[in-house]
Amino acid sequence: MTPHLDFNSDAESQAMKQLFRGRILFAFGVVILLFSVLIGRMAYLQWFDFERYHLLAEDNRISVETLPPTRGKIYDRNQILLADNQPVFTLKMTREKMNDVDEVEQQIAELLPNLDQQRREDFFEKLRRTSRSKSLLLPYSLSEEEAARFAARSHLIPGVSLTARLKRTYPFGATGVHALGYVGRINSKELSKLNESEYRGTEVIGKSGIEKFYEKRLHGLPGIQQVETNARGRVLRKLETVPAVPGEDIQLTIDIGLQQFAESQFKEHKRGSIVAMDPQNGEILAYVSMPTFDPNLFVDGIDQKSYTSLLKNPHKPFINRGINGKYPPGSTIKPFVALGAIENNIISPNKKIYDPGYFEYKNHRYRDWKRTGHGLVDMHDAIVQSCDTYFYELSLDMGIDTIHDALSPFGFGQKTGIDIPGESKGILPSQAWKRETKGLPWYRGETIISSIGQGYNLTTPLQLAKATAILANGGKIIQPHLVRDAQRPPPEQIEIKNSQNWNRVIASMRDVMHGARGTARRHGIGLPFKMAGKTGTAQVFSLNEADYEEENIDKRLHDHSLFIGFAPFENPKIAVAVIVENGGSGSRTAAPMAVNVMKKYLQEHL
Amino acid sequence: MKIALNSPQTVYRKNKGLLEALHIDGWLLLGILMLLAGSTLLVYSASGGDWDVVYRHLVRIGFAMGLMLLFAQIPPNILYLFTPWLFGIGILMLIAVILVGDVGKGAQRWLDFGPVRFQPSELMKLVLPMTVAWLFAHSSFPPSYRRLLFGAALIAFTAGLIVVQPDLGTSLLIAMSGLFVLFFAGLPWKVILGAVFAAIVSLPIVWHFMHAYQKQRVLTFLNPESDPLGSGYHIIQSKIAIGSGGIEGKGFMGSTQAHLEFLPESTTDFIFSVLAEEFGLIGVIILLSVYVFVIARGLYIATQAQDNFTRLIAASLMMTLFIYVLVNIGMVSGLLPVVGLPLPLISYGGSALVTLMISFGILMSIHTHKKMLTK
Repeated sequence: MTPHLDFNSDAESQAMKQLFRGRILFAFGVVILLFSVLIGRMAYLQWFDFERYHLLAEDNRISVETLPPTRGKIYDRNQILLADNQPVFTLKMTREKMNDVDEVEQQIAELLPNLDQQRREDFFEKLRRTSRSKSLLLPYSLSEEEAARFAARSHLIPGVSLTARLKRTYPFGATGVHALGYVGRINSKELSKLNESEYRGTEVIGKSGIEKFYEKRLHGLPGIQQVETNARGRVLRKLETVPAVPGEDIQLTIDIGLQQFAESQFKEHKRGSIVAMDPQNGEILAYVSMPTFDPNLFVDGIDQKSYTSLLKNPHKPFINRGINGKYPPGSTIKPFVALGAIENNIISPNKKIYDPGYFEYKNHRYRDWKRTGHGLVDMHDAIVQSCDTYFYELSLDMGIDTIHDALSPFGFGQKTGIDIPGESKGILPSQAWKRETKGLPWYRGETIISSIGQGYNLTTPLQLAKATAILANGGKIIQPHLVRDAQRPPPEQIEIKNSQNWNRVIASMRDVMHGARGTARRHGIGLPFKMAGKTGTAQVFSLNEADYEEENIDKRLHDHSLFIGFAPFENPKIAVAVIVENGGSGSRTAAPMAVNVMKKYLQEHL
Repeated sequence: MKIALNSPQTVYRKNKGLLEALHIDGWLLLGILMLLAGSTLLVYSASGGDWDVVYRHLVRIGFAMGLMLLFAQIPPNILYLFTPWLFGIGILMLIAVILVGDVGKGAQRWLDFGPVRFQPSELMKLVLPMTVAWLFAHSSFPPSYRRLLFGAALIAFTAGLIVVQPDLGTSLLIAMSGLFVLFFAGLPWKVILGAVFAAIVSLPIVWHFMHAYQKQRVLTFLNPESDPLGSGYHIIQSKIAIGSGGIEGKGFMGSTQAHLEFLPESTTDFIFSVLAEEFGLIGVIILLSVYVFVIARGLYIATQAQDNFTRLIAASLMMTLFIYVLVNIGMVSGLLPVVGLPLPLISYGGSALVTLMISFGILMSIHTHKKMLTK
């Protein structure tokens, strides 16, 4: 019923079977041969080239993400926060995901009316220039309301997403900016000097002040996270994590309350500096450079308009006057000169000289500030009344090099070593200094004006405060500093030949404030403590013989007003140096400011 | 052959057991079950542990096993009767595909019968060798050149219908299955050598008529690194998967290349790379050994077949299986150009598995429906 399939004869069938078996064997041989080729291929890939493919597979699988460290916070001496990291909302934009960049820019402009137009244009210009797949953060912090408004419309704006990040903020704004400094976006010059691996993922870097000086400590070290990503780059799971080492918190010696109060002393006068420190250890309590500016402007990159207006401000807020303002010290130098003279036995402190209102040397009259003269004065009187003639005469007996050597231990003409970058040295002249810098010999006439802090003398407010502190603490050469916890070697001691000499000089300074004829006696009245001080009025330029008519000359050419002092007299807790640019006489402008700062501080620390 | 001599068949002949009653060849079934078990494990791993995929895979395996069982019951002489009709239907369907076929992956390969989508070229994988074998069932020995030429023409005609779909890879493989029949039927060696020579000479002409995507595949195959993110990507990622498996492999479920989606088509065409990555060179050798076992058993069945028709079919189907394994592994390991081709019995996927299991059913039928008169 089923068809018979074997149509061939038996002989034919046998021959065919024979041939068929031969071909089957041949075919099986080919199977074995080609499978061996496959196994050879596999052995090549999996054995011989295993290392290479193993690495490639790991490369595929693992990608490394940097975890940027959180920047250390900065506190004042009373644990009040001065520099914080605040979470803020910003927009992350990726050109790749956008339909039309111009359209997105338009939408952003409508959504964020407070965003500066220039800044917006700059940002989008940058976005157009960067790689399509790279994400950029809009340098703008959205308010909660703006963030909510964006969130509601985000689906209409592809390529833009809301993201949170930590932003450096300075809650006290402009207060103390010259000490604290600020952070800003890392620029290409800074980038080239950095260890790139440490700054991967970090957006900002300290640009000035404490933020720059302690950059390394504040920044911390980035962590590394190995993540497993799939072929589309999505992170599937975290593998190994080396956590970031957060930046260290830093506590300053600054008392932010005192700082605010000191800055508030500048009302009528716009420019100047106040440095207040603890004379026992060099801790700076207030560091004022006026005018100030708001560091918060710089964190996300300052917009051109604000920057230009700050640059063009005639009062030059960017100058850090405390360390870079170089002023003739004027009469504030006198106590130091006097101390040098008696320590070197140049003059007896009791010796009186007569001041007719001028000092004549080589047919040139060097005028005293008091035209009528002070009459017969000894050293005490010369300091209390700030008699110029006494020092003119004394200086010729001392010679410039003795003055230099006497003042040098107090830190004049040298960097104080304060922990903010860019400090100026100032000038403490000597014969050698003039020969080296100007290639000229020293003239005795120059010694005369040097003795009252004019001529070549230039000091920074910080140097004056330091010198005052050394005077107050009995010759301990303290190093001014802004960070509290730093380990410091014990201060060196100025060689004191006779401690009576020191007492005499500071007693004279006390009488500047409390004596009957003291130049600042008006400001010493009614103080709950005794203090020492010295006024100074530094000529900005020499008016020569012409009469000094304050009202007639440009205010910018008014004398600088200076004051140094410390309090309480018996147990000094605060030393202050004040310089008010073009503030006029030291006793009128600088002295009350310094006294107010001391009063404020000692209210709490007496 | 040692395996064949210890065949359970010899035992069951005297003592008719369940397998013989069902017309099942135990050795072949053993090899198939080993491959399908491995396949299920690999599909589970390559899909990232997706039980839904595994479940669907098992349903298909069950369905295909059913078909194998069904075809094992059909005596070869019945198949012989139906062969010309099946060929006719197959050719008509191939023509229908060209005229009204569904487009899938840029080519017309499917016929849509409402709930069932059917790939006629899949049918032809079985029917063409059967048809050519049918042609030589009556042939004298050695076969006349006229008959050989006629067989070659049938093969060329069928392959031509598939090549215009366009599906060069499948058409070449189907042609191969027909050519194997010619080979086993006694195609003279000088003709074989001449044909090989002619093929080499005609390569530039074939190149000229190839589609752009086919040319691209060949070019990419010759230098995959030239386009690492484009068409070379698949091969590079596949080689990384294989190479990174090393000798011992990364362990079951350890294929990062598949799980992280670097490897394309990891449950289907590139499933071998998952095996190589997870089970290493050892796994590869075991798999190839099982294939050799199955092929050897199939070829043994061919030698034991009692007539031309069945022995030609059996030998051709096994060599076709071999070619599929060779091409797939050659492709994923970068020895051959990428042709969309599953790994027999291992890849996840319906129609290829069904065709294969039917061919195993036919093999079992051949081995178990024997006329006792010869013994």
